[in-house]
Order: sequence, then C-alpha cells, then structure tokens
Amino acid sequence: MKVLVAVKRVVDYNVKIRVKADQTGVDLSNVKMSMNPFDEIAVEEALRMKEAGTADEVIAVSIGVQQCQETIRTALAMGADRGILVKTDAVLEPLHVAKILKAVVDEEQPGLVILGKQAIDDDCNQTGQMLAALLGWPQGTFASEIEFADGKANVTREVDGGLQTLKLNLPMIVTTDLRLNEPRYASLPNIMKAKKKPIDEKTPEALGVDMAPHLTTLNVAEPPKRQAGVIVENVAELVHKLRNEAGVI
Amino acid sequence: MDFVLSPEQRMIYDYGAKVSQSFDHKYWLENARQNRFPEELWRQTAQDGFVGLMVDQAYGGSGLGLFEMALLIEGMSNHGLPLLMYVVGPTMAMGHINQHGTPEQKSRYLPDAAAGTTMFCFAITEPNAGSNAMRIQSVAKANGERFKLNGSKVFITGVDVCDYAVVVARTTPHDQVKRKTDGFTVFILDLKARGVDYQPINMSVVNPELQFTLYFDDVDLGPEDVLGEVDKGFNILFDLLNPERVTVAAMACGIGRFAIEKAVAYTSERVVFDGPIGAYQGVQHPLAAAKTQVELSSLMLRQAAWQFDRGEAAGAAANMAKYAGAEAGIMAVEAALQAHGGNGFTHEYGLYDLYSMARLLRTAPINRELILNYIGERVLGMPRSY
Repeated sequence: MKVLVAVKRVVDYNVKIRVKADQTGVDLSNVKMSMNPFDEIAVEEALRMKEAGTADEVIAVSIGVQQCQETIRTALAMGADRGILVKTDAVLEPLHVAKILKAVVDEEQPGLVILGKQAIDDDCNQTGQMLAALLGWPQGTFASEIEFADGKANVTREVDGGLQTLKLNLPMIVTTDLRLNEPRYASLPNIMKAKKKPIDEKTPEALGVDMAPHLTTLNVAEPPKRQAGVIVENVAELVHKLRNEAGVI
Repeated sequence: MDFVLSPEQRMIYDYGAKVSQSFDHKYWLENARQNRFPEELWRQTAQDGFVGLMVDQAYGGSGLGLFEMALLIEGMSNHGLPLLMYVVGPTMAMGHINQHGTPEQKSRYLPDAAAGTTMFCFAITEPNAGSNAMRIQSVAKANGERFKLNGSKVFITGVDVCDYAVVVARTTPHDQVKRKTDGFTVFILDLKARGVDYQPINMSVVNPELQFTLYFDDVDLGPEDVLGEVDKGFNILFDLLNPERVTVAAMACGIGRFAIEKAVAYTSERVVFDGPIGAYQGVQHPLAAAKTQVELSSLMLRQAAWQFDRGEAAGAAANMAKYAGAEAGIMAVEAALQAHGGNGFTHEYGLYDLYSMARLLRTAPINRELILNYIGERVLGMPRSY
C-alpha cells in the first residue's frame, strides 16, 4: 500500500510568537520554521507501517513556498521514500490544501492518507475532514492507535470522555493525535540518504486548483495579558469577590 | 555569497534540539557535577551516526567536513550539551586519522570508532610544554624499525573512557634537527599497551569529562602506529589544531546562546517592580551585546571551517574565531548570570556551573594571549616578542 503524508512548514513550537505591528498576521521574519509536530507523528506512523510491511511506499507532500522543500527533506531524512512539493506563494486555506491533496491523491492513488489533526500555526483542524469529504473516503480523526486487519483498519480516536474505536474501509483518511506515537528524528546516515531522494514539483494551477481566497483576515492580535491573581483569606471573602467584583455568581 | 545552510546542514545543526528531548541540559549538568562521562548521550549520538561525521563513507562514516562538525557541536551546545569529547575524538583524532592515516590504519581504527564502539582522545600538552609545543619532551626513541616512548602528557581529556590516543612525541631531539619544527611524530597509541598509565587531575571545572595525566614508560610503538611521516608530524599538526579551535569556538558560542536564552526567559517573567526586569535596559543591553558577539563569532568559525574544508589556510580565521568565541561565551554567561541575580548561583538554575566551562575555554586548548600573539604576528605581521 502507498501512504501519502501531508507535512506543513510552520513556526517552530519553541518560538515565542509575535504579532506584526500592523496586526495583519504573525511576524515570520528570522523565525525558525519546522515541521508541524502533528505531521511528524503522521510521518512516523507511515514509517512504522512500512517497517511492519503494511505499507510499501511513503510519500511526503507539502504545499506552499519553495522553503517547504526543507520540510519534505526532513520527512525524507526520517525515512519517507519521496516527496511532492506543490509550490505556491498564495495564502493557504484548509479548503485549498484539501483540494490540492485530492488532486495529488487522484494522481498517486494511495491506500491511506495521514495528516496531522491540525497545524500549530492556524489550528484550523479542517484539512483532513475536508479531504475525506472531497474524496468520499472514510475518516478516522484524532487517532491514538491504528491497527490493520483483513484489509480494514481499526482506528482508536481520542474523543471527549474517552476513546472510540472505528472499523474503517480502505482507502481512508487518518488524522493524528499526540499520543499516536513518538516521532523519530533523523540519524546522520539517513540525513545523507535523503539528499538523493526525489522531490517532484507541481503547482496548484497544474493540478487544476483555484487558489482564490474564501476568507479575509480582519485582524490578528495577541491574547490579552493575564492579570495577576489575588490570594483570599477565607471562603467568605472568595464568595464576596466572585459576586461583587467578578460578577460570576 | 550564501549564508543559507543546506537542508542536510540544517538538520545536523538541529540535531542538538532533537537529542536534547531525550538527554536534556539537566542530564548533562548532573553528570558534569559528578564528573561522570554521559555515556548514554554519547551512545545515542553514535547510534545516530554523528560520531563518524568526519569519517569517510568507506570506513563507516558520513564523509562530511569540519563545517558540519562545527554545526553539530554548536547545535548541541545551543541546547546545553557541550561535549569536549566531541572535539578531541570525532573531530581531532578521528578526523586526523581519516585525513592522514594509511588505508590499513583507517580500516583498522575508523569503522569501530565511527560506530562508537571504540573511543579516541588526543595528547599533545605536557607538564613542561604547555603552550610551547616545540618543547615537547615525550620521546619516541627509534630502535630499528620500532620506537620506545617515554615521557608524560597532561590535561588529556577523557582518557578513562577511551581506547586509543593520538599522541605527539619527539622522534629526533630538539638540538639535532635542521628546522625547529622537524623531529615531531604523531602516533596512534593503544591505551592498554604495556607502559601506559594515567591518573585523573582534580579539576574545579563543572564538565562531564575528566582530565588526566598520561605516563609513558618504554611503550613499544611500531611503524604501523605512525600517523603521517616520521619527524614531519609538525607539518600536519595544524590540521589537528585548527579544527580544535573551530569546534571549541562552536562550543563556546553554543554555551553563550544557551545562557542568553535562559536569561531572556527568566527576565521576561521575573517581576520585581512594575514590569518584567527584562524591560530594563540595564538588564537588556548586556544580553544584547553578548548576543551580538556570539553571532559574530559563529560567523567567523563557520568561515574558518569552510576554509579548512576547502584545503585553504584556515589559521587566521580559526584563531580569531577561537578568541572571539571564548570571549563571547564568557560575556554571555556573565550577562545571563547577572540578569538572574542570586538565582544564577543556585543549583536549581545551574548558571554558575556553566560559567566555569565558558571560562575554561579562554584558557584551553590554547590561551587568549597566544591567540593574540598569533593574530599580531601572523595576521598583522608585527614583530615577534618571544
């Protein structure tokens, strides 16, 4: 089975995010960029499938500016077999990404697409679901475990209040939650091997995807600073403050 | 001119961030405080293929250069994992065998070393020949085809965990050579050989590797142990010492960045009067100035490494990078320490521990004054004072 993994280039999770002075977005100048951590989990899961013999090829796809190639190289160094870069400078919305991925799926015919449940930059949590809808494929989102048996997959999902296990037909879409696995990092020999692995370049136009925006960003602002707390002497004072100052009871 | 790292170089630089998720600075510091070699971290880096970074692919390595090695060491130090062992083993000793060893020596030593199953240290400094390597007194006296090595070495890093040492000794006495740089030979020495002994030196520096005095008493060496040519060791010695300067600079820059980052996080949160103390310019400026020096040094060491890898004369850049890096590292730890107030001196924050390591690098492996002599005489062309 061929497995397609979507990998997004995002601001590194260690970077303290700063909003641009004109409030049009997040300041990305001189900021370290890395692979979306949920996508690292997606790559890891695909690689484990390959090691277990369930998958025979792992393809990493990234969509965006030329530098997304670095994100693909990271996936290749982890062990993916080849990459596809869909190059665009356009602002990407989940629906654009889902449509582009659908076009790639139509060309590659994978048995499984694994995506991160969301990207840590815009936190949309929509792409996997939209892709499943566009393809008409079953979806197992927020996966914490995937098992294959008899040509079907059991996907355990982290839902409110517990775990839900679905039996899904292939081909299918999986989006990863944090506990699915602990992603590996690349060893030096694998970093060197990745250099020789191919990356195909495509464009949204060639894939027939219209990149016209559907959303307009009005304003991006930092969350309000948390006010310092106070220590109360006793329950009576707490109740008094909640009633008269906070107005919540 | 291109300042952008290749994807491979970027991943090598980022390795420190990755491996520090399993072995963090706290792990390093606990080992450093006990002078215990962090074997688990070493084994992990070996398993991940980084010990053999400079070893040719034919001998089980990755065949990369000093530039990538400096990126690796800088990246690990950025995350609080500076290892002197990486300088003396994978960079100096193994890099040197890879560059100057015979095919027999390479296939005998490098595959195991690249896999991390054997370890190398490097021995040049002597009790009576510290900064003046010309006065090296360890003598490997020729006896037919073979040699008998006698003498001692001091401040040798990590002898206890190593299997072999790359050793510089005299094969022709000082007064019998035509040129004063003649008469030195580089040997590969089995530390288990008869006549080799060593003793730890109690150091006040908080770092994980121990320092040793090595003693040689009639140690038998053969032609198969000679690295390069007999009596011509000095000519290739700078292929050892420039990489040392570059990687030590990388380590100092990383320590500096690590300390600055700690201070930025601390001062952005710490409120004493109205706002965070990081907003005060008295706190900010020393950190900003140190950051500038660290980044300048980092550029210089990359230039030196780049020149070295191209086979160009890297002495000027390597020396300037070592000087600048060591000073920047001290400046950064000093600024971070001051910004932390009393907390900087506690075990919990561990900053004062880092100071001894940063400060060491002003003196070792070559002290500030000798570097400045080199720059004065060899770069600026000024008269020699000694």
